[in-house]
Amino acid sequence: MQVKYESQLREPLIYGKKTYHDLTEDIIRPIEAKPTRLWYIGFFVAVALLCFGIFSVYRDVTYGIGQWNLNKSVGWGWDITNFVWWVGIGHAGTLISAILLLFRQGWRTGVNRAAEAMTIFAVMCAGQFPVWHMGRVWMGFFVLPYINTRGPVWPNFNSPLLWDVFAISTYLTVSLLFWYSGLIPDMATVRDRAKTKFRKFFYGITSFGWTGSAKHWQRHEALSLVLAGLSTPLVLSVHTIVSFDFATSVVPGWHSTIFPPYFVAGAIFSGFAMVQTLMLVVRKVFALEDYITIGHIEAMNKVIILTGSIVGVAYCTELFIAYYSQNKYEQYYFGFSSGNLFSPYGWVFYSLMFCNVIAPQIFWFRKMRRNIYVTFFLSIIINCGMWFERFWIIVPALFRDYLPSSWSVYYAPTIWEIGFYLGTFGLFFTCFFLFAKYFPIIALFEVKHILKTTGESYKDQVTNIEEEAVEKFAQENLHHH
Amino acid sequence: MIALREKFKIPKKLKAIAALLLIIGILTILSGFFTKGLSTDNAVSAQFWGVLMYNTIFWTLICNASMFFVCFTTLAMGGWQASFRRVPEAISCMVPIFGVLTFLILFYVVAIDHNYHIYGWLNTDVVQHDEVLKGKQGFLNVKFYLIWTVLTLALWSLLGWRMRVLSSEADKGPLLGEKGKKYIWKNTVTASLFVVWFALTVGSTVPWFWMMSIDPHWYSSMYSWYTFASSFVSGLSLIALWVVYLKNNNYLELTNQEHLHDLGKFIFAFSIFWTYLWFAQFMLIWYANIPDEVVYFKHRMQGAYRGIFFLNLIINFVFPILLLMSNDSKRKYNWIAFMATFIILGHWMDFYQMVMGSLSKQEVSLSWFDFGVLAFFVGVMIYGVAFALTKKPLIAKYNPFLKESVIHHS
Repeated sequence: MQVKYESQLREPLIYGKKTYHDLTEDIIRPIEAKPTRLWYIGFFVAVALLCFGIFSVYRDVTYGIGQWNLNKSVGWGWDITNFVWWVGIGHAGTLISAILLLFRQGWRTGVNRAAEAMTIFAVMCAGQFPVWHMGRVWMGFFVLPYINTRGPVWPNFNSPLLWDVFAISTYLTVSLLFWYSGLIPDMATVRDRAKTKFRKFFYGITSFGWTGSAKHWQRHEALSLVLAGLSTPLVLSVHTIVSFDFATSVVPGWHSTIFPPYFVAGAIFSGFAMVQTLMLVVRKVFALEDYITIGHIEAMNKVIILTGSIVGVAYCTELFIAYYSQNKYEQYYFGFSSGNLFSPYGWVFYSLMFCNVIAPQIFWFRKMRRNIYVTFFLSIIINCGMWFERFWIIVPALFRDYLPSSWSVYYAPTIWEIGFYLGTFGLFFTCFFLFAKYFPIIALFEVKHILKTTGESYKDQVTNIEEEAVEKFAQENLHHH
Repeated sequence: MIALREKFKIPKKLKAIAALLLIIGILTILSGFFTKGLSTDNAVSAQFWGVLMYNTIFWTLICNASMFFVCFTTLAMGGWQASFRRVPEAISCMVPIFGVLTFLILFYVVAIDHNYHIYGWLNTDVVQHDEVLKGKQGFLNVKFYLIWTVLTLALWSLLGWRMRVLSSEADKGPLLGEKGKKYIWKNTVTASLFVVWFALTVGSTVPWFWMMSIDPHWYSSMYSWYTFASSFVSGLSLIALWVVYLKNNNYLELTNQEHLHDLGKFIFAFSIFWTYLWFAQFMLIWYANIPDEVVYFKHRMQGAYRGIFFLNLIINFVFPILLLMSNDSKRKYNWIAFMATFIILGHWMDFYQMVMGSLSKQEVSLSWFDFGVLAFFVGVMIYGVAFALTKKPLIAKYNPFLKESVIHHS
């Protein structure tokens, strides 16, 4: 039997004197209890937003996307900005569950379930934008390459927009599988405790006959690792291909070789900000402070400062290369002459620099990383900043093109573009509220797995190991090599 | 009680190998110096100094990658590497030595030889008539180049030295409770400083200066991250090589296949990461097909460097992905050693094509001379690292995470 030991210098990941049973109680209880009034209010607001979104989209289909303010030079506006923004948010979940699983990070267990759910909902929201942007959405299936009766009409395989179709649908599929396969053991736990008919039926079906036998667990572990292995390159590929949408072009400000890794870092950055926003609320509402501890929040803030700084280096690299290349179009985009930094969109650039590069530097201070209010505030700032970043990349690069006669048009969204965006918030939160009500919001079996090494009361018991000489400790525990 | 062999004694065989490599290296360098290095024709002397340049840059960067490894595992509070942490620490001792070499070579090229053939931007006559180069003078000038180079190398060495000093505390006595927290805190502060400086140098400015400016008109915003990936994966391989060497000589009792497996995973992952950056840089330039940018790949892909271009991908991508994919392959000492050697050579060749591919575009100059110079650097590295290993216990007994490392399961 492997000794259950972890250095006492690490913070516990589960606070309190907890037993396995306490864990089950704490995490499953919200599912079995009646939702609070706050839940109803939140859910109602989300559904209302969703309805507004549906109505906006209904108008788009009826009247065409002419009701948006897109124009001759700004062919992509809020729609694609929102698309990239949501896809970016959809990166944290799979990073947490896949890459951090491969890195054996114990703290992922407290947040992975909700983050994965968030990922799936965010990708669902992202998908809406290119779909409804098509205008004649009933022709949407044309993007799929299949043997057809339209003659030699195939999607353009040279286009990164088509690669996006494959990348995002693959990502959604694998993330969904990952999330769901992780849910099965916990669904079975809920099923086994179920008292009402509905619960017995619903969780009976959704747990796929899980019995918890050794064989089941063995397969489950193997599947998790395989899915983690598959998802890891996917985390990189999705936003890489989104960045190709821009970088393969010859548009100044879009064509830059650093785009792929820089988009991925930005995506993880924004994803973690959204996880923070949600988890800070969730831990309070569901009283899960013992499981989503300050330590978890600090760890995520560290990821935020890391990815935020990578993004910062990338911004500066882009500015520098615009200068260094002495390419006048690049320089125009970055405003070394009378260009875009001083254009009507200049404020977007300054906002994104503030929100994404300057503001997160506060997390160099441990006190700030561990402060819930600062974290929450910063997470909102970063969410805004990352939206500005995408808007900055897309719109100013387009709005003053090579033809000065089209320069006069300043692009601002119509109410229906805004409505569509708000609608995706509605979709996102409707799904999230339902998820929080009907699914275990923390991966119960994974938290149980780490309880005896990182639970507070268990960590107190390893003092004798801590004081032991390493030679003796090795003698006792190194038999198998 | 397991008895730990703390003191490393340099085996005679290793000394002999290093000495042999050094002799070969010095003879090669001397012969190159007298036949090419002293030539007043810049194109000829560039064949000598260029080879020294890419070798010294490569070895400085990959030894510095060891300190990067130490620092980021410190920041991430990684426990698993505690059992062999002294190995990357010892490798990082080479940074000041290779750093001085790098500085001397670059100083000679830029300030004494004014080698126009290597750095076109040194030629004031050309720059005066070239609007683009004129515009770059704010960055590409001798003063800034040298100051930044000195600052870079000095701070890498200084912060690395500080990390190693801090590490010695873990030899002295138990670091429990508050004492342990303080130890971690001090390490964290220095490690963050190092990582920030690393991002501002390897992650951005230094590759622009040292290598990208060899093609003074060409630019790619990915260039520095690409250089980082190339040097980092070689640095990881170098750590793995030394770990295997020490294991095979019955040192590092607390390190086993589990640790090697994780090192192998890192090598595997960063080989793929390198390929990812390679592909992103190449594909975007190829796809957009802008004349300013494709010049870089034109002769590399379709000219004399075609063979090296594809060999680069085969060694650094195809082999690692196929041969390091399975679990078993990462747990076999000799297999990892073989792959690590291979990957180091592969990325050495990558640096070769980055530098020499721009200096001699018409023909591939790779010859006995390049390998002779490589022998010199390998010889210095072996001597230096082995010597550094003797200076401290091989295992920092009181490292707060050492016991986690002992029971580590990959």
